[in-house]
Amino acid sequence: MFDSLNRRNLLKYGAATGVGAAMAGFWTRPVRAADAALNVFCPLPPDPAPPGAAEFAKEAFAKWQADHAASVTYEKLGWSQLHDRMATAFASGSAPWDIIYNCGWVPEFQSFLAPYADQLPKDVVDDLPPSSFKTVTIDAKRYGAVFTLSLLTLFYNREHLEKVGLKEAPKDWAEFKAYAKELTGGGRYGLVFNYGDPAGIGGTASYWMVFLQQAGGKMYGEDRMPVFNNAAGVDALQMMVDLMAWTDPGSISYANINDATNVLLSGRASMMMNWPFMWNTANDPNQSQIVGKVSSAVLPAGPAGTASIDGTDAWTVAKASKNQDKARELIEFYLSPEVQKRQVLDTGWLPIRLSVLADPEVQAKAPNAAVVLEQAKHPYDSFVTPDYNEVTVAVGTQVQQALQGQKTAAQAMADAHDAVVAIVKRRG
Amino acid sequence: MSYARLQHGGPLRRLIVLIGLVIFVIWSAAPIVWLVLTSVLQQRALIQQPPDLALHSFTLANFTTVLASAALLGHGMVNSLIVASFSTSVALGVGAPAAYALARLPVPRANGIAFLILATQMLPGIAIAIPLFIVISRLGLIDNVLSLGVVYLSFNLPIVIWILRGFFLGIPFGIEKAAAVDGAGIFKTFWYIILPISWPPLCASAVFAFIEAWNEFFFALILTRQHAQTVPLVIAQFAGQYQTVFGQLMAAAAISVAPVIAVAVLFRNQIIRGFADGMMKG
Amino acid sequence: MIWTFEQRRRRAGLLFVAPGLLLLAAILGFPIVDSLLLSLQRVQLTGDQVSHSWVGLANFERLATDAVFWKAAFNTAYFAVMEVLLVSLISLGIALLLRHPMGNSSLFRIMLIVPWAIAPVANAVLWKWILNANYGILNGILVSLGVIDFNHVWLGSPFSALNFLLIVDVWKSVPFVALLMLAGLQRVPQSLYRAAYMDGAGPFQSFMHVTLPSMRGILAIAIILQTIWSLRVFDLVFVLTRGGPADATVLMNFLAYRVTFNFLDLGYGSAIANVIFALTLLIAALYVWLLWPREPGGRR
Repeated sequence: MFDSLNRRNLLKYGAATGVGAAMAGFWTRPVRAADAALNVFCPLPPDPAPPGAAEFAKEAFAKWQADHAASVTYEKLGWSQLHDRMATAFASGSAPWDIIYNCGWVPEFQSFLAPYADQLPKDVVDDLPPSSFKTVTIDAKRYGAVFTLSLLTLFYNREHLEKVGLKEAPKDWAEFKAYAKELTGGGRYGLVFNYGDPAGIGGTASYWMVFLQQAGGKMYGEDRMPVFNNAAGVDALQMMVDLMAWTDPGSISYANINDATNVLLSGRASMMMNWPFMWNTANDPNQSQIVGKVSSAVLPAGPAGTASIDGTDAWTVAKASKNQDKARELIEFYLSPEVQKRQVLDTGWLPIRLSVLADPEVQAKAPNAAVVLEQAKHPYDSFVTPDYNEVTVAVGTQVQQALQGQKTAAQAMADAHDAVVAIVKRRG
Repeated sequence: MSYARLQHGGPLRRLIVLIGLVIFVIWSAAPIVWLVLTSVLQQRALIQQPPDLALHSFTLANFTTVLASAALLGHGMVNSLIVASFSTSVALGVGAPAAYALARLPVPRANGIAFLILATQMLPGIAIAIPLFIVISRLGLIDNVLSLGVVYLSFNLPIVIWILRGFFLGIPFGIEKAAAVDGAGIFKTFWYIILPISWPPLCASAVFAFIEAWNEFFFALILTRQHAQTVPLVIAQFAGQYQTVFGQLMAAAAISVAPVIAVAVLFRNQIIRGFADGMMKG
Repeated sequence: MIWTFEQRRRRAGLLFVAPGLLLLAAILGFPIVDSLLLSLQRVQLTGDQVSHSWVGLANFERLATDAVFWKAAFNTAYFAVMEVLLVSLISLGIALLLRHPMGNSSLFRIMLIVPWAIAPVANAVLWKWILNANYGILNGILVSLGVIDFNHVWLGSPFSALNFLLIVDVWKSVPFVALLMLAGLQRVPQSLYRAAYMDGAGPFQSFMHVTLPSMRGILAIAIILQTIWSLRVFDLVFVLTRGGPADATVLMNFLAYRVTFNFLDLGYGSAIANVIFALTLLIAALYVWLLWPREPGGRR
C-alpha cells in the first residue's frame, strides 16, 4: 500500500515538474537556431540605453540584426540595481551576458571581461576622445568603449544671474564663491549638490575629486597608493566646505542626483554641477519650472584650471561570451555615426564620436554639447580602481563629516588617506 | 456601571477612542492620499513649495505612460500573482499541518523544532543570496517564476507555521478529546474539526504570505532576468539614476497595489471575521 | 490502548512536521551552511574565476577593530529597541481602538492593510519625497501650519535621520502586528471580562489582569517577529539615506549589503551577516524563554 502511494506521489511530482518545465518554456522567447544570439545587459531608459532598448535607431537596429544573422535580446534593469545583479552573477562565476554596460566598474570586473576594444577599427578609435579610454584601460589593454560623452559641467539659471547683474558663468573659484553668495537669499540658494550618498560616480566623493583636480591634485601615485593628503586635497575640501554657506542645506540629505536636480528645476537654486542629460530635463515643461532659462558652462577653474569627472558609461564584452566577434561588431554598430546621431537627437545622451559632436544639427539640438567638448579638453579623471566603491565610501564619508563641521578639512583628509591606504593594502 | 457600559465606556472613553481613531486614520491614510495625489500631478507641480495643486497641474499622463508600458507592468503583475499564489498555497498547505503537530501532537522536542524553524529567519537574506543564486543557476532555474515561489517559501513557511502554531496552542483540548471519543482519527480531526474553526488565522497568514511574496524585491532582483520579473522590479524601473519620474513611479505603485486591496475588499468578510470574531468565544 | 493512541499521535505528528522541515532544509540548508563557511574565507574576484582562501577567524577579528561596524551595531541596537517598543505599543493601541464598538468597521481594517500592501520600493521613494528638505510635503504642511518657520533637513543630521528612518519603518511595520494583536484580542473569552466585571474590576484592571495575560502568546510572537525584522532593515536605508550622512544611518544589515554587493568582500560581508544571525538568535531565545507561556498546549 505504501509502495503504491509512493508511486502515485512520484507520478504527481513528475507531473508537477513537467508543468514547471512547460511554464519555464512559456516565458522564454524562441530564438532562431541559425542566428547568433547576443545577450546585452543594460540600463533602462531614460538612463543611457542602446537602440532597441531605448526608442531610437530602431530600423537600423533591425537591419543590423538581419544583416549580421544575429538576434539581440536585452536584459534591462533599473540603474541602481545593475551593480547588484552583476556582482551576484560574477561572484558565483556565471554571467550569461555577451555585452555588458559598465560604469566605473571595469577594473572591478576586469577578470571577467575581454579586452575587445583593442580590436576596434582605427577609424572608430581615431574619432573618439583618447581620454575616454582612461577608465576602461588596464595594463595597457582596453576593455571597453565609452559611448556617451558624459562629463560634469556647470548648469545655471540664467534669469537668476541676470537679476543680480551677472552676465556670465563664474570662471574661477573666487567668482564661484562670490556668485553663490550673491545668488543666495529669499528662499533660494546659490548652489545645490547631492551629498547624501558618499560613494560612486556622482556621489560626494566624486564632487571632491572634481575640486581635487581643479586644485591640481590627484588620487593615486605611480605606486597606486593615495597621494591626496596634501595642500591640493585639503584646498579642494575646504572649497566645498566654504561653499556650504550658500548651498541648499538639504544637499547633505540628497542621496541621488535627481533629488538635487529637482531643486534647480523648481527655481530654488541657481547653480549646480550636473551631467549633459540634464539639458533635456531642464527644458521639459512637465518637469521643469525653468524651461528656456538654463545655461551650461565649463566648471569654474581652481588653482590648476578647470577639471571634471567622467560618467564612464561604457560597453564591455564578457570573456565568457561565445560570440565575442559578433559582440564587438554590435558595439561598433552602437558607435556608428548614424546611431550616435540618433542617440543624441532622440534621447538627449550626447554622442562620443567627435565628428558627430561637431555636427551642426547635433549642436543645435544639444547646445550644451560644445560646452562638454570644451570641458573634455581638461582633466576629467574619475580615478576608478578595482575597489572604487570601497574607496569612495571611505573618502565620501570623511568629506560628509567635514561638510557638517564635525571635522576640519585637514583632519578629514588625513583620515581619508589612512582609510584608503588600508583598503589598497588589504587588496594586496 | 453596567457590563455593556464597561465594553463601550463612558463619554470620556468614547471621546478618547474617537480621537484615537482620527489619529489612526490620518497616520495610515495621509501618506496614501499623497501617493495617489502625486500619481496624478505633473512633476513640475510637485517640486514647487508648496506643491501647485491648481487644476491645470493635474494630469493622467503618468497613468497613460505607465499603461503604455503596460505589457511590462501587466507581465510583472501576472508573474507576481503566480509567485504569490504558489508560495501562499504551499506555505499554508505544508505549514498548517506542521503548526498543528508542533502545537498539539506529541512531537519530540516540539519547542526546539519550532525555534529551529524560526532561526532560519534570522540570517539576513543578503547573506544567503549568493549561495542561493549558485544553487539555482546550477539547476538552470534562474528567471523562473516557480523557483522564485519556492525561494519565497523560505520566509513564508516559517512565519506561517509560527502564526498558526500560536493559534492552535489556544484551542481547548476538549474539542480534540470529544472528536477522539467519537472515533475520529488524527487526520480527520485535523481536517474536519481543527481547520474549519481555524479559518480566521488561516486567512490572516494567507494575507501575510501573499503580501510578502507580492512585494519581495531583493531575491526577485537577483534570481530573475526579464521573463520572471515581478511587480516590485517593474516599479523600481521608474527610478533611474539620472532621472526619477516620481509621478510615474507612484502611478505604477498605485496600480500594483490595487489587486492586493481588491482581494482585501473582496475577502473582507473572511478577513474581518478572521480578525474580528476570532476562533474562540468564551 | 492509550499507549497505541499516543504512538499514533506521535507518528502523525512527525508526518505533519516532516514536509515543512524537509522543504526548508532543501531551500536553506546549503545557503546557510555556505554563508557560515564564507565568513571564514577571503573571496576575491581575480583571474578567471572567484578565488577562495581560508582565513580562519580573521574576518571576525577585523570586525572588532572596524569603527564602521561598531557604529552600525550601536545604530542597530537603538533602532531595534525603539522599533520593537514603538511598534508593539502603537499596534496594541490600534488593536484596542479597532476592537472597540466604534472602531469595529471593515473600512478601518482595510485602511490598516494598505500601508503594508504597498511595495517597499515605492514606499521608500514616497517617503523620500515626503521628507525632502526642499520640496517635501512634510515641510510644506508644517510651514503652512506655522509649526516650523523654515524648512528642516529631516535626513540631514545623524540623530534626526536615524529617527525618521525609524518612523517610516514603524509606519510600515505596524499594520501586520496590529492585525495580529487584534486577532489575539478577539480571542480573549468574553466570559473572563464578565467574571472580572463581577469581581469589580475597572477597565484598567481588566486590561492588566485579563487582556494582557490572555494575549501573552500573541504578544510573544509579535515581539519576536518584529525583533527579527527590525534587525534586518535594509531597503529604507538604501533608498532614503544610503547610510548617510557620514554613516549616521548605517544599520548592520545595510553594512552587510554594502560590504557584500558594493565592495564584493564576500567573506567579510558574510561575517557581518553571521553576527546579525547570532545576535538575533540570542535575543529571540531570550524572548522565548521570557515570554512564551510555560505550558505549551495548556489553556491560557
